[in-house]
Amino acid sequence: MKNLIVPLLACIACAVIVSFTAVSVRYEQKLNQENEKKEKILAAAGIKTGNIDEEFSKIKTLFFSFETGELVSVESGYDHIKAASNAALSNIVPSKLDIAIIKRQEKIAPVYVWLDETSNIEKIVLPIRGYGLWGTLYGYLSLGPDLNSVMGIEYYEHKETPGLGGEVDNPNWKSGWQGKKIYNSEGSVSLKVVKGVSKDDYEIDGMSGATITSNGVTNMINFWLGDQGYGPIIKKLNEVIE
Amino acid sequence: MRAISLKETRKLLFTPLVENNPIALQILGICSALAVTVKMDVTLIMCIALTSVITLSNFFISIIRTYIPDNIRIIVQMTIISSLVIIVDELLKAYAYEASKQLSVFVGLIITNCIVMGRAEAFAMKNPPIKSAIDGFGNGLGYSFVLIVVATIREVFGAGTFFGLQVMPESYPVNNFLLLPPSSFIIIGIMIWVIRTFSKGQVEENENPLKAHTFKPLVVKKEGVDG
Repeated sequence: MKNLIVPLLACIACAVIVSFTAVSVRYEQKLNQENEKKEKILAAAGIKTGNIDEEFSKIKTLFFSFETGELVSVESGYDHIKAASNAALSNIVPSKLDIAIIKRQEKIAPVYVWLDETSNIEKIVLPIRGYGLWGTLYGYLSLGPDLNSVMGIEYYEHKETPGLGGEVDNPNWKSGWQGKKIYNSEGSVSLKVVKGVSKDDYEIDGMSGATITSNGVTNMINFWLGDQGYGPIIKKLNEVIE
Repeated sequence: MRAISLKETRKLLFTPLVENNPIALQILGICSALAVTVKMDVTLIMCIALTSVITLSNFFISIIRTYIPDNIRIIVQMTIISSLVIIVDELLKAYAYEASKQLSVFVGLIITNCIVMGRAEAFAMKNPPIKSAIDGFGNGLGYSFVLIVVATIREVFGAGTFFGLQVMPESYPVNNFLLLPPSSFIIIGIMIWVIRTFSKGQVEENENPLKAHTFKPLVVKKEGVDG
């Protein structure tokens, strides 16, 4: 009897305490996660100081469909990362095209847009993700008004080795992205992370000891800015600008 | 409940630091010592997490020690330890978000940390709550001591920083070997060597000494030389 009652009581007591803690800190946890994403979106666009919520309110969040390239509306609270694992809201990426190894791609994704006084696009931020060495890297890439030159890149979640692939968080490496060009004159994605030091506008310095992470970054740029990703959306936006 | 003397308290707190260090002498909890010692700030959070888990788990297990049936004691201990670990993990995610992201699974892995289990089994099951809590805290300090030394060496000589601040000259190249987990093995090994040089009592008796060569040389008969 004792064999049954003692573990039962211990389990009940522990379960109550654990669930009480989990519920009582849930709000803080969610706030942390949302804040971090906002912070990274702003950081990708080069805004590293100031009040996060205030700066974030200056951004227009537009939602685009990958299938049509058109502006669409979504329910409030739409999370494109969650949508990617929902069968109704995402598509399986054919393995031949799945260079970033994301398996499922959401149908609708957000684009964060800054407009200047004359409502021209000042800069945009695109969510990107792709597989590195140990896991998927989640981040944001920011493009300037020509929708071709990079303003910055930030990762908010990754599992790369600290000091090697983890150098995607290194400010020195990230600053090497500024002013680089995504599309060449023919309009195809040409930006890549090279081994060693970059020589032109289409190359990013490699991370030493992290070839696979570097390749993963190149692949996710190729995927998300190519025809499968934001490529058609960027083309549409370009037409609007002209 | 009998009050614990100051001398006893001191003994419980400080023997696990060097004399009976859980990592250096008992060789327990090596896994997390390898994994979370790249950066000082992360290491410190891990030390605080483990110390609080081991202190509280010792305390609670000791409170119910007389009620725990002997044949399922490990399960009951695990229930308490894992609940404490989940609570610590949730709190870190809420109040130390950055560090909790870098610690990732290793907070959860405190559950399987042999130091926590070991102290519950070896000490808390036989001693009163306050004494057990002090013992747990002392062992947490012993664990923290080794981790902080390893992390200091790895961060300063690996990345050239300390708490994220540059301490080495800008030209200092990043030492990749120190940033990878196997380097902790070597640093802990050197620590054990240094500790055992000063306290000879920790040196284990050689159970399998090398013996002198005892084989008789094989005599090979030469062939084809007869008659």
